[in-house]
Amino acid sequence: MSSSTLSEGRKQFIVDGVTQDCRADGRRCIDFRRFQIETGIVSNTNGSARLRQYGTDVLVGIKAEIGQPKQERSNTGHLEFYVDCSSYNTTEIDGHIGDFTTQLTKSLERIYDSENVLDLKSLTIIAGEQVWVLYIDAVVLECCGNLLDCISIAVKAALYNTRIPGVSVNDEEGVLELEISDDPNDEKKLSIDKVPVIVSCNKIGHRYVVDATQEEECCSSGRLLIAVNDRNNICSLQKSGTGSLDPSTIFEMIETARQAAVPLNQELLQTLKREERSNNDKCGFFAN
Amino acid sequence: MRKDYQLPKFYDRLVCRTGAVSQAVGSAYIELRNTKIICAVYGPREVAKKQEFNIQATVACELKFATFSCRRRRRHIQDSQEKEYSQIIVQALQPVVRLDKYPKSQIDIFITVLQNDGSVLGGAITAASVALADSGIEIFDVAIGCCLRQIGDLSLIDPTYLEEEGRLNNEEEDEIVTNANVTIALLPSLNQVSALIMNGELDVDSTQRIIKDCLEGCIRIYPVVRECLTKSLEEKMSRN
Amino acid sequence: MAAEVGNPVIPGQRLGSIDQFSAGLGTYVRQRHIYASLVGYKDIISQAGQLPKIQIKTGNVSCNLPTIGKVVTAKVLNVNPRFCRVLIICIGTTPLKEPFKGTIRKEDIRATEKDKVDMYNCFKPGDAVLAEVISLGDPRSYYLSTAKNELGVIFAKSTAGHPMVPISWTEMQCPHTEKIELRKVAGIKYWTDS
Repeated sequence: MSSSTLSEGRKQFIVDGVTQDCRADGRRCIDFRRFQIETGIVSNTNGSARLRQYGTDVLVGIKAEIGQPKQERSNTGHLEFYVDCSSYNTTEIDGHIGDFTTQLTKSLERIYDSENVLDLKSLTIIAGEQVWVLYIDAVVLECCGNLLDCISIAVKAALYNTRIPGVSVNDEEGVLELEISDDPNDEKKLSIDKVPVIVSCNKIGHRYVVDATQEEECCSSGRLLIAVNDRNNICSLQKSGTGSLDPSTIFEMIETARQAAVPLNQELLQTLKREERSNNDKCGFFAN
Repeated sequence: MRKDYQLPKFYDRLVCRTGAVSQAVGSAYIELRNTKIICAVYGPREVAKKQEFNIQATVACELKFATFSCRRRRRHIQDSQEKEYSQIIVQALQPVVRLDKYPKSQIDIFITVLQNDGSVLGGAITAASVALADSGIEIFDVAIGCCLRQIGDLSLIDPTYLEEEGRLNNEEEDEIVTNANVTIALLPSLNQVSALIMNGELDVDSTQRIIKDCLEGCIRIYPVVRECLTKSLEEKMSRN
Repeated sequence: MAAEVGNPVIPGQRLGSIDQFSAGLGTYVRQRHIYASLVGYKDIISQAGQLPKIQIKTGNVSCNLPTIGKVVTAKVLNVNPRFCRVLIICIGTTPLKEPFKGTIRKEDIRATEKDKVDMYNCFKPGDAVLAEVISLGDPRSYYLSTAKNELGVIFAKSTAGHPMVPISWTEMQCPHTEKIELRKVAGIKYWTDS
């Protein structure tokens, strides 16, 4: 929501509520909103996931294609991100929408496209020439605050759901030919134990909240993005927003985010495993 | 590659001059070992784009690597990495400028990296702050940027390009080798952090430690910046 | 007591406490202390009956923005029946490095008989006018007014291309062709005295 559409009285109400650990919807400062996650809903992708929360709907699709490796990292595969916000009401974003999506895309790339997160070496087919490139595209259908966190959870679920087909390399008279197998049993799963989720901590007044709604984001004077993985290690930090933060506040925010991320990661993994086992027939997006 | 953890003396690290671009309202030139960055500030001037009426000033930044500055030739159009750096620098400098003093105007910061040998973001933030101070635009404090790279047990302040890109790989399966880098912008007098980017995988204690080390790196640059601004003030006064 | 020229300071340095001094140009107050916000020399000015004021003396020209009440010099860009657009090129006596856009609305041209104003008899494109800033206006331009005796056209060229001489509050004459053209003339002291 554009900050100019929120009245001063409403802003004060939110700040006072946060100070007393009771937010506008009744949550505590470190509570996440409940969300629903489904995987494997788009058949044309190698992996997909959809996250639904009150007011938020994000769809992530992963397509794996064979391509050239990046110049600096010729022995590993890589990830390419794109966030599409066009369905999301553009008047609600402060500033140019291109800058907004660039910021999201670059943050995701910086956090996820790294050896610390995924075993990118396993995506190599022919070292230096042909690698698997994972194109991760997020479509934001609607959003009620905390967009980057939601996209990161959906990306993690989609990566869990991703199956990469097996490739055999045939050397015929010096020309290397790649054959992609159609056998569903010959598919590779990706290991997601080092994949982090992003927890954004917003500073409102003198306290900080996790999983901010749109209104709370308008009142925040500084935001710290913290990426925490299953091993409870910090993968990335980024300060965004126009205010400045005290170093001690930063350390407290890191600790708060880590505590909030522990149940989040555990629940997410359990839900994903449960979904994989049950193998429900997907019957369309808006059917249920 | 440096084998020892050494926080080098600040005079060896940073060379800083103002007045590099005579046409600009304020400008600065920074050399951080082999990295060379030049920054020009224009404004406060009319808001160029058709934006909403803003009772405060807007800060806009454009960072560009010169096409010959990196190991591989860069494109002449701003790519996504440069756009991201520009946005980070805007976020680092917005808390610093007294925006309410210049209603309905825009302050433009143009940064060109002439030679990239690592620590670009930290150097660019420092260059932009020095240029703002030189321009006579009122600011709360001079923001100082600093980069730190953690490879295994080594902490390297102001890493060179090779040190930034290099990685230590796991020699054994179970060993976790930390590869992390962090860039911080600090406002020394106010003791506030206006930009923080960290990448890698670290536990909470190591994260706190590298942030503290990087903050100390920023504090050590402060005297150099202060001396540069004081010297340029004396030169300006003696010219008038 | 004369003001003392003190040490060079940079933004963020503490200058004094608000119990003993008051904040002047180039400083700001935070948590009961005065800090510098410009690069310059610390200057303490005594004031009768008040706390001495700390300000910063700089070598720079201070940043100039059109603020309400300032008299500016502007060049007329285009004229239309409701308002005319101008380009602000000087604020007071300081020329600007980069101009700002301004608008003079029909009702702000004169103080009296505002509804009987004909825009084309007041300004023409290319004229230099003295005007006062009355509002920050809209995102595209500042709002200016010439509704005072000393404000209005100070320089204009005739249709023949020669600089004209003012002959009354509403008329200017070309010295070569002796043709009279209508303008809203500024009553600058030099002209009104003679």
